[in-house]
Amino acid sequence: MKLKHSLFSRRQFLNGLLGGWLGALAASFLYPVVKFIFPPYREPDKVILPFSDYEDMGPNSVRNFPWGSKPGLIKKEDDGAYLAFVAVCTHLDCNVVYLAEQKKFFCACHEGWYDENGLNIGGPPPRPLRQLIIEREGENIIVKREGVE
Amino acid sequence: MNLKKIAAEIQAWFDDRFGLSAIFKFLREKEVPQHRHSIWYYTGSTILLLFGIQVITGFMLVFYYKPTLEEANKSIARIMTEAPLGWIIRSVHFWSASFMIAIVFIHLFSIWIAKSYRKPREATWMSGVFLLLISLVFGFTGYLLPWDDLSLSATKVGTDIPRSIPVVGIWITKLLRGGEDVTGDTLTRFFGFHVCILPVFIFILLAFHIYFIQKQGMSLPLAFENKGKKVRSLPFWPNFVYREMIVWLVLVGILVTVAIFLPPSLDKAADLMAPAPEGIKPEWYFLFLFQVLKIFPAKILFINGDTVAVLMIAVAFVLFFFLPFIDNKPTERKGKIITVVAYVVIVFAVAMTVWSLL
Repeated sequence: MKLKHSLFSRRQFLNGLLGGWLGALAASFLYPVVKFIFPPYREPDKVILPFSDYEDMGPNSVRNFPWGSKPGLIKKEDDGAYLAFVAVCTHLDCNVVYLAEQKKFFCACHEGWYDENGLNIGGPPPRPLRQLIIEREGENIIVKREGVE
Repeated sequence: MNLKKIAAEIQAWFDDRFGLSAIFKFLREKEVPQHRHSIWYYTGSTILLLFGIQVITGFMLVFYYKPTLEEANKSIARIMTEAPLGWIIRSVHFWSASFMIAIVFIHLFSIWIAKSYRKPREATWMSGVFLLLISLVFGFTGYLLPWDDLSLSATKVGTDIPRSIPVVGIWITKLLRGGEDVTGDTLTRFFGFHVCILPVFIFILLAFHIYFIQKQGMSLPLAFENKGKKVRSLPFWPNFVYREMIVWLVLVGILVTVAIFLPPSLDKAADLMAPAPEGIKPEWYFLFLFQVLKIFPAKILFINGDTVAVLMIAVAFVLFFFLPFIDNKPTERKGKIITVVAYVVIVFAVAMTVWSLL
């Protein structure tokens, strides 16, 4: 039945209501499923490392540190300054290695090259290595993301 | 009451309930055409054989395997050294997977080139494309389970590839990895895909695939169809089955020989923080993809090169899936071009694979 000025019939209205309700019901079942299969992830804001572990590094050398579930590299420059990188290739996520003799970072997966400052210089990598901010605070080194206090 | 009568009664009892005699009658009457291309008919059943071997050896491996960060590599080492005949079971599982994928590709191209997917067999082809996809994912997820350096790097790369797909890509990567990065959670999740989720889907699809084939009978080469020639045929039971068994026995002989003399290696357990080892390679059936990704430039007209590569692969896959509908005039010029495309794809894939090995 449809009233004179109505846009749709009573049947259509009820079907719409029922369909909408069924859709909402399905969504309410689906939501926890989807929520469950994507675990939350938060990249660390910063990691605190004892300076003593990195004090004895020679110039132009690197040492590992864990950046969440990714490997990080702390690099000592020739002038004694420290740099920190996320040691993951920007191409397809493989872990990179620092080749001190050549002063380059290298990814063995698809032969990607970065210079000593992490700039992509050869092979497939589309971006430079991600750099982190590194600070000395008393006995500790603090490595943090950009924009973190 | 003699035995024969008892047997007949038991058969009648089952027949009343399940109607099995219709199936037996069908199999007794089923015929397989005989012509100079009928050798390709054997590829399907050999895939089934190898799949069966995968299921059985998989059942055996899962008795010892432990899908956790700490235990995975150790448990494989234990299978290889302590479990009675464990090394050979793993080796057969490893080689049977490779054999199966190889014959799947032969099966696929024989159908493409003979155009067996033409009307009314479109759905058989499409279910086959999904079976191919699932087989490849089986291979990919299985590769991680030993949890050594090689498998970790291959998984990092493989699960990162979807990330270049706009919008949904990042979620596919997260779904596969169980998080932002490849971790122990990825291992457990891959194990779940490999032994639980994928088997359910492959069995359902196989059932459809095989049902369609029985429903429609074997496809004949185009040439026979056009000339309307009468084709000689062989009864499926027992003649064709015996011939298949010969092929199966030879294949099992080759498989076990290779498995004994070339067992797969096991490196030390993967370290999530270690750099990727030199000379990493995926399984041979992903090498062409690996090589394409390696030579693709980082940027193409300001767009990320990988995005272009992944989108091209996606488009190719969609075309491939709908091939029976695209190739709707098999005897005309278009049909011939599509046959040439099949050969071009084969040459391209082989060339890329060889290049990646240089």
